Amino acid sequence: MVIVKRKQLTLGERLYLPEIVRGLSITVRKMFAKRATRQYPEEPLVTTAVTRGQPRLAMNPDQTLRCVSCGMCEAACPAYAITIDAHEVEREIEREPEHFEIDMLRCILCGFCEEACPKEAIWMSDELELADYTRASLVYKLDRLVRPVSQLQGRIDYIEEINRRWNN
Amino acid sequence: MEQLVFYSLGLGAVIGALGVVTAKNPILSVLSLLWTFFCLACVYLLIGFEFLAVAQILVYAGAIMVLFLFVIMLLNLGTSEAADFDTARAMGRRLPLVLLVGCTLAALSILAAQQVGGTSDEARADLRSVGSLTDLAQVMFGTYLLAFEAASILLLAGTVAVVMLAKRERRKNAA
Amino acid sequence: MTVLLATLLKVLVIFGCLISAAGISTLAERKISAWIQLRRGPNRVGPFGLLQPLADGIKFMFKEEFVPPGKSRFLFILAPALAAVPAMMSVAVIPFTGRIAEIDGTPILGSVADLDMGAIFIMAVSGLGVYGIILGGWASNSKYPLLGGLRAAAQMISYELSMILIILAIVAMSGTLNLREIADAQNDHTLLGFLPAWNVFLQPLAFVLFVICTFAETNRHPFDFAECESELVGGFHTEYSSMKFALFFIGEYCAMIVMACLTTTLFLGGASVPFWAEAPWFIGLGSFVFKAAAFMFLFIWVRWSLPRFRYDQLMALGWKVFLPLAITNIFITGLVLAL
Repeated sequence: MVIVKRKQLTLGERLYLPEIVRGLSITVRKMFAKRATRQYPEEPLVTTAVTRGQPRLAMNPDQTLRCVSCGMCEAACPAYAITIDAHEVEREIEREPEHFEIDMLRCILCGFCEEACPKEAIWMSDELELADYTRASLVYKLDRLVRPVSQLQGRIDYIEEINRRWNN
Repeated sequence: MEQLVFYSLGLGAVIGALGVVTAKNPILSVLSLLWTFFCLACVYLLIGFEFLAVAQILVYAGAIMVLFLFVIMLLNLGTSEAADFDTARAMGRRLPLVLLVGCTLAALSILAAQQVGGTSDEARADLRSVGSLTDLAQVMFGTYLLAFEAASILLLAGTVAVVMLAKRERRKNAA
Repeated sequence: MTVLLATLLKVLVIFGCLISAAGISTLAERKISAWIQLRRGPNRVGPFGLLQPLADGIKFMFKEEFVPPGKSRFLFILAPALAAVPAMMSVAVIPFTGRIAEIDGTPILGSVADLDMGAIFIMAVSGLGVYGIILGGWASNSKYPLLGGLRAAAQMISYELSMILIILAIVAMSGTLNLREIADAQNDHTLLGFLPAWNVFLQPLAFVLFVICTFAETNRHPFDFAECESELVGGFHTEYSSMKFALFFIGEYCAMIVMACLTTTLFLGGASVPFWAEAPWFIGLGSFVFKAAAFMFLFIWVRWSLPRFRYDQLMALGWKVFLPLAITNIFITGLVLAL
């Protein structure tokens, strides 16, 4: 059996009115405190290199893709969000994705693809916004996935830093 | 103009009163009674009894009828009992009685109206002088103070008696 | 004729202002609740969200109407009107300001109707608002609304009693039932040389009791057992949608506004301005609106600060604390007046 010891209330507490005034004074102070909310579209979230946003494909400064369509990310993806079709190209790396699709509705932003990639071609960017009217439009094709390396540099440096720490 | 307003109010009150006894749904009955009170309050206003009108609404409409509604809802009178009771037939069977009571009441009210002097101007002025609150207070707490206090004590005794009776009933049930 | 026109104009203006004030109150409710909870509140519709009530109104009109089967359809539709009309009616006797003008020797006063028994009238009419709630709860043909309606009825009757007794003390002090005269009676002298002789200083106990009673009377938090989301879903208006719900809503806010105005009139000297006895009528009106707005703020402020009572606590408070205190207050007032 549990015996609950009730706190003996003082006269002021039993009268209740002083306590009401105390409560009211707390809320009125909160009215002038700093707001906890953010005006979202005008004040977007602050992102850092640690932010694990939507995966994006890196594009070299000479307008070529780093991806060689090896399918590692496709295999690593726990949500089966990635689909790749490869074709051959007349370049040193010989292969390039013909189609590269990430179904953003399936993607869980886990970052396994980024870890699996042997060519440092897919990175978790700082892009987070995802909204549209149809499901089909949220299956991102190459045209919406490719980003210049410069845009992803912060993340690339951060991951390399981590890898260095672990490898030494 | 005043006549027209008076007669339409009277008609409204009578229709409401008929609704009270004929409505199958007890809630509708209560609402009809409420409507009747309203018409009566307006009639009081028309003849200048402001206080009586407001008191009527405050006491009868505002408190007593709410209690009625309350009780009806708590008892939750099913429609089955009410539906079985055919008001028109029941009244038809007692038509002679209904007529007798109705005629007596009508005759009494006509008599009473004549007693006060009907609608003569002096009578109206006389009534109107009591209509104002100050005069009413003077009559109540001056001329008839003893009667007023006696009535209030009587009411209090009645209230206490009701409480006692209800209490004894419950004790018997518990035992 | 001109007097009639002026009165008509007053009716229109006051009614319009009451409805707009109810709309503004809904916005204020949302804004202040947001500020208290460290949020910003509605700010997308118009500058600072000022047009939000308008947007809400339009949204209400396009919502689906729903009438539950089983009970009386007529009563279901009548109930919101019954809830809103008394609140709007009782504003007629509130003296918003002093004498505005004089036409043909007839003074145009700051209230629609300068009734000799304004204080009783306002209690009588605002007490009728309970019918809308109780009928709405019953006609919904559903258990929670019925419970909400019954609770509201019991609560309003209990607290109306204390409220009338408190008003009686004020009436005894000023010797009149006319609200304008009650307000004026507070302005003809000062206390201790500097305080205006408002009833809030003369009758502090009555003031506190009255303010708490207004919360119970308008079914406002912390006494909002008629809706009581966590126990009764939405209370008496659970089954209501669209403009019928909006009417309940407007009625509730109108009742709050009327109570704020009544408290201002009874305890804060109405339209008077301290230390400026000869203030013109529009300054008096501003002063009245300011005082009433302060009470509206209190209504909202308390709602977002305090937890809800328990129903039995509410009834115990009403009958075992407020009623004896109110009667004691009358006795003390009577004694002081007699001495």
